Amino acid sequence: MAPKFQIKVFQLSRFVKNFTIISVVTLSFLLVFFSKTDYYLVNGIKNLSSSVVIPITRFISAPVNVFSSFINEYNQFRSLKFENKILQEEIIRLKKWQTLAIQNSRENKVLKKLLNATDNNLTLVKTTSLINRNDTIYSKLINLNAGYEDNIKINMSAINERGLVGKVIDTTSNNSRVILLTDPNLSISVKSISDGIFSLLTGHGDGKYLVSSFVKENKMPRLGDIVVTSGTAQIFPVDLLVGKVTKVEKNRFFVLPFVDFKNIDYVQIVTSK
Amino acid sequence: MEFSKFFNSTIKLNIILIISFSISVNSFILFPNINNSFYVLFHLTFIYLIFYHYHYYLYLVALVYGILFDILLLNNMGAHIITFLSLLMLFVLLRKYLIRLNSFQIIFIYFITLIILLLFEQFLANLIHNYTFNISSIFNFILISLIIFIPTVFLFTKLDK
Repeated sequence: MAPKFQIKVFQLSRFVKNFTIISVVTLSFLLVFFSKTDYYLVNGIKNLSSSVVIPITRFISAPVNVFSSFINEYNQFRSLKFENKILQEEIIRLKKWQTLAIQNSRENKVLKKLLNATDNNLTLVKTTSLINRNDTIYSKLINLNAGYEDNIKINMSAINERGLVGKVIDTTSNNSRVILLTDPNLSISVKSISDGIFSLLTGHGDGKYLVSSFVKENKMPRLGDIVVTSGTAQIFPVDLLVGKVTKVEKNRFFVLPFVDFKNIDYVQIVTSK
Repeated sequence: MEFSKFFNSTIKLNIILIISFSISVNSFILFPNINNSFYVLFHLTFIYLIFYHYHYYLYLVALVYGILFDILLLNNMGAHIITFLSLLMLFVLLRKYLIRLNSFQIIFIYFITLIILLLFEQFLANLIHNYTFNISSIFNFILISLIIFIPTVFLFTKLDK
């Protein structure tokens, strides 16, 4: 009786192992297949990863984070004297500009009243800070500490004081994920301020520039032109600052974004009025 | 004594896997090479686990890390899951040939596997998700692999002893 029993156990465990392998492989291929669609399971995994896995990975990588911020502070401390000198010069220059700006602002208000114009077309949903970022390898993503409980929805725009940062692509109750402008998988419809040339921009592989993927009627903007969101795709609000044209080739042009993507601490989630 | 028994080399390697994964998915803007180095270290550890500590649980490990890498780095599933599972299945198929090799040949195969794995991920990310096949990042990965390969293998063999 005993040998028979042993054989049965061996066969069962082998069957379990083979079954596990086949189910793991099948599951993975199903996940790959369904990841391109809005499948419930895939979205559940995405939500789980941003609400559970990210805090754990942040906790584990905390020593490296501390080391990195220590080096950063040391570098800042070293350049403090030089920075102080520059800032003093800048204060003097800005004071002159401030007087001029106050005068212009008053004049602007009066003119707007005369024209019966509204101030801007944006509604602020939430100002939020960064939890962490995944923008070194492959995609350019940042994670924010506000989610759908703060009324953040997919496809809302993320901006900061310099201009357009990106677009919300995932939200959980307390977290949301933003794809940056520099990601090659994000396209934005823009227009140049001077000529009103419409085009589509996508992130370039280097992570610094945006490159045109489509230019309406093949009209190229001029070097130094400022590009803003056109609002034609109805994803981004109209007239958000994007960047400056830095290189024009025969069939495409390059734009340097205004936003410094290395120094994003806070972003505002906005939507059109 | 009991505590050291509990921490056998497989568990230590799995801890290295968790740490390297955590650091590689959190970008450090001032030191992007830290992310890249730990990303390469993760792959080195995973290949080492397959080569020297093969077990069926590694399919589950490959699935979990594959999904997490894909979601956190690509926001789409595909490149990492396929690569990790393909490596495991390829290893099962070629195991009988790998056993015959001497240590130098295995080290060479180990390094080549690492490079192919990193290239294959880039290729799949390009093919499935349209990410640019970035030559500079590939060179960066190869350079980091060259630098950390020998110390890592040395460390792993020490752990195994």
